[in-house]
Amino acid sequence: MYKSINRVFVLTKRNIKEILRDPLSLAFTVALPLVMQILFYLIFHNLTTQFEMRYLAPGIVVFSQSFLTLFTGLLISVDRKTAFLTRLYVSSAKPHEFISGYALSVLPIAIFQSILFFLVGGVFDASLFSVKTLAAVGLSVITSLFFIAAGILFGSICGEKSVGGITSIVITGQSVLSGMWFPLEGMGGGIITFMNVLPFKNATALVKNTVNGIADVASDFLYPLIIVLLYTLITFSAAIFAFKKKMKDN
Amino acid sequence: MTAIKTVDLTKKDNDLAAGDKLNLEIEEGELFSLLGVNGAGKTTTIKMLSTLTAPTSGEAYVLGHDVKTESDKVKEVIDVSMQETAIARKLTVEENVEFYAALSGQSKTEIETTKEYVFEAFSLKEVARRRACTLSGGWQRKLSIALALVTKPKILFLDEPTLGLDVIARRELWKTIRELKSKMTIILTTHYMEEAEALSDRIGVMKDGKLLFVGTKEEMFNVSGKSSVEDAFIEIVSGGEALV
Repeated sequence: MYKSINRVFVLTKRNIKEILRDPLSLAFTVALPLVMQILFYLIFHNLTTQFEMRYLAPGIVVFSQSFLTLFTGLLISVDRKTAFLTRLYVSSAKPHEFISGYALSVLPIAIFQSILFFLVGGVFDASLFSVKTLAAVGLSVITSLFFIAAGILFGSICGEKSVGGITSIVITGQSVLSGMWFPLEGMGGGIITFMNVLPFKNATALVKNTVNGIADVASDFLYPLIIVLLYTLITFSAAIFAFKKKMKDN
Repeated sequence: MTAIKTVDLTKKDNDLAAGDKLNLEIEEGELFSLLGVNGAGKTTTIKMLSTLTAPTSGEAYVLGHDVKTESDKVKEVIDVSMQETAIARKLTVEENVEFYAALSGQSKTEIETTKEYVFEAFSLKEVARRRACTLSGGWQRKLSIALALVTKPKILFLDEPTLGLDVIARRELWKTIRELKSKMTIILTTHYMEEAEALSDRIGVMKDGKLLFVGTKEEMFNVSGKSSVEDAFIEIVSGGEALV
């Protein structure tokens, strides 16, 4: 048990170093969403409630997490391409330790994103400095796990060149199907039903509702939480399966 | 003591045999070279012996441990340097060594000793603080092979260790491999004949997944009637039909 924890710690430490030394990925995960948060607020907040900071900040938090899919996917696919992972397969480390090492190294970035975007949001809307926002930061850790799991899955099955294209599906999904950029009320029933069973809108709703107050526990909190947890569980299971298969197929 | 023993070891992919009933015994302390043209099955053989790929049939034992049922025990006594350079590109040379040593469960004191040993063996001290991605191809290759020594393996697999290196870097690496010979069993794959000639105690010749010959250089010359490893190799793989 101790040996296993130590290996996860060593793998996590290495991954964090690799991540911090990749300025381009950090720009995507932090700088780009930050610029979008400030710009969209300044331009649109007087035109529509959609872009008031108490709605925009939670949306940006979850949207920025979708870049973690790209980020994690790239890290793993490059490790695979350079035969670095093949070398590690000969070590005593087990597949679940590799996956934990990748997930744990990206998780601090998710927490940092969440705190940063809520702090910046608080500068424009002081009501965001609240206990509800703290709870939302905690819940955003759960939503980030879905995006990290997707990254591990795509990184395990895609090459370095294709992983960018494939993960952009998740980024686009979070952008278009989450309802963060435009109100969903005007959309047809079929589309809304479709969005309701996908993780994107539910992840955003979970964080947004927590910040702005939960009117109905079942529909505003439990339903999105269960959907996000289900997708996270399924995606992690698929990621572990794909990673193990790649190890065997080596 | 026998370091490696295989009995009818076979690996088939879509009915294509990358390893076909391989029967091989390698003694501890030996430097054994597997020679073969591209696609002969050298890398697959190494992958089967190092638990990276499962055999389709047959048996293989590494220091008495079954590669199929005791892979954890096999992993404790071996290390591999694959054809491709396998390093953490954004870590420094020193961090690469520290990382790999820590992953194998070494303590801080042990890691320091390992660093000294590896830096000395591969003259890596001068580039210790440089990120791996900034090194030349030759240095990256050197680091990649050096990492395989970090775990102090009893059996070291080197898959095409000098592939892509210039002649000077190749000769330097030969010198290092010769120095390692007394400390561990080394199984090396190569398609450079002069490399096999310069380094090996025994040579195995592979073609189409089959082991056509196993023996010393001298035995190879006797069997083929030739006086160089290259001519003998061509004679063996071409089945006696002259290629030139």
